[in-house]
Amino acid sequence: MQPPDNALLTELGKRLVSGSLSDAAIQKATDATPTHAILPWVNVVKIGGQSIMDRGRSAVGPVVAEIVANLERHKMILGTGAGTRARHVYSLAIDLGLPVGVLTVLGTAVAWQNAQMLQYLLAEHGIAFLEPEGFASLPHYLMERGAVICQGMPPYKLWEQNPDVGRIPPQRTDTGCFLIAEVFGARRMIYVKDEDGLFTADPKKDRNAKHIPRISVQELLARDLDDLVVERAVLDMMLNARHIREIQFVNGLKPGQLTAALNGEPTGTIIYSEAAGGRA
Amino acid sequence: MNDGAQHVVSRLMRESLIDKKVIAGTESAVRPILPALNVVQIGGLSIMDRGHSAVLPLLEEIVANQDEHTQVVGVGPGVRARHILSVGLDLGLPTGALATLAAKSSAQNAYMVSCLLASHGFVYLEAPFIVQLLPAMLAAARGAVFNGIPPYDLWEHPPAVGKIPPHGSDAGSYLVGEVFGARSVILVKDVDGVYDADPKANPGARLIPEIDATKLKRMALSTLPIEPVLLDLLPRARLARSIRIVNGLKPGNLTRALAGEAVGTLIHA
Repeated sequence: MQPPDNALLTELGKRLVSGSLSDAAIQKATDATPTHAILPWVNVVKIGGQSIMDRGRSAVGPVVAEIVANLERHKMILGTGAGTRARHVYSLAIDLGLPVGVLTVLGTAVAWQNAQMLQYLLAEHGIAFLEPEGFASLPHYLMERGAVICQGMPPYKLWEQNPDVGRIPPQRTDTGCFLIAEVFGARRMIYVKDEDGLFTADPKKDRNAKHIPRISVQELLARDLDDLVVERAVLDMMLNARHIREIQFVNGLKPGQLTAALNGEPTGTIIYSEAAGGRA
Repeated sequence: MNDGAQHVVSRLMRESLIDKKVIAGTESAVRPILPALNVVQIGGLSIMDRGHSAVLPLLEEIVANQDEHTQVVGVGPGVRARHILSVGLDLGLPTGALATLAAKSSAQNAYMVSCLLASHGFVYLEAPFIVQLLPAMLAAARGAVFNGIPPYDLWEHPPAVGKIPPHGSDAGSYLVGEVFGARSVILVKDVDGVYDADPKANPGARLIPEIDATKLKRMALSTLPIEPVLLDLLPRARLARSIRIVNGLKPGNLTRALAGEAVGTLIHA
């Protein structure tokens, strides 16, 4: 074969084509490239599975009303969580000896069901549901209708990685929605759950749990809490994120909190990253 | 207790799947789905980009072994992925976009391999068909070829340093082996294995025949013939507890690896 003509490549490009991608110096050099935010005006909003969807109309209805009221002002990618049916199918699949990748396929179906139900409630406003394969159409739907719905699980399927401990897929709908926000360079990442945000302990189980309005991801990781408001994978990925500097948690059972978060107000809990751009 | 949600009764009902004690309580054995399967990963830059002189003898070796050892073949992207990384980085695209773009280059390579193996009954399977059809395809056809890069696409993890997608075709092929509980995962490259120093720069570099993944990570070698993320994945293995790196430019190496012989470098959990 002819030796490649690299005259058109950048200096970094010449190193990428001829060098090893596992070379730490080449990896470092890619940090110096520009960073383009693909959809800087979009907000990613995750609607909780167990916390919102499983409660049925009493919880979902007001959340849907608040989404509709914000369609004119804020563009939203709405991702859904899984919830109690995922817990059932995970229990069963673990009992059957099935691996983490299979549990991810099963859990994805539950988040998908919740996304479909949410879409039936928003269909009259022209809101579409998009599979990961359809994401190239997402800018168009957002421009035309202000929001789209997707299921929150990342599309890892059988390729999901094992956790350090246990058998539950470590990267679920919190992580999938976070990565959508990160790759598009979104304006905000908002998680709608059934608590006012992060507490020092599970407020459902511990009456003395104290509310934390704002905390850095570094401090939160250092506290090494037994339970958290968000998947640990999200906290780990925040340390490496190029775009998303903070994520917000609001109570979907309290009307107005989602709207406040979309307006940039500090309601619920904000977890922010101290470092600017990658791990030091 | 009525917390307002409509629950399905299960062991994990109402539990936080983030709670460390709940997570630890799920620890238990995993059953291999396809324990006779061997995953063979063909390198992009190391094998495919060399053309027929490297690719055809390797494919002949795969076919010659298929009766005795069922193989599925993952394929890496090679120099076209390097090129689109270069252009994409210059345009300011994020890691998830780069991963989606690079995956098309390995899909091309996998499709070419499947064409070359078609007369032997191998089929090309995209990720959704790996999920749905791989066992049936193996039973009906003789083998399968798949895109080595995992379907992380826009959801690829931002790496700690730089922007290069961390999960390439080595990681994707390994994860296929892990989820199916494969008998072996063999990465076919153009080097004899892992050396204790860069063999191109140090004539005295020695081949490491077998090593623990965590130990290899601690050695912090400046370059590895595999994606570094494999050294993070292997310690968490439940079923595919090792990978073997062999030189595919030397006939017989793959056959020896399939037979379980100590050829190349074995990295274990």
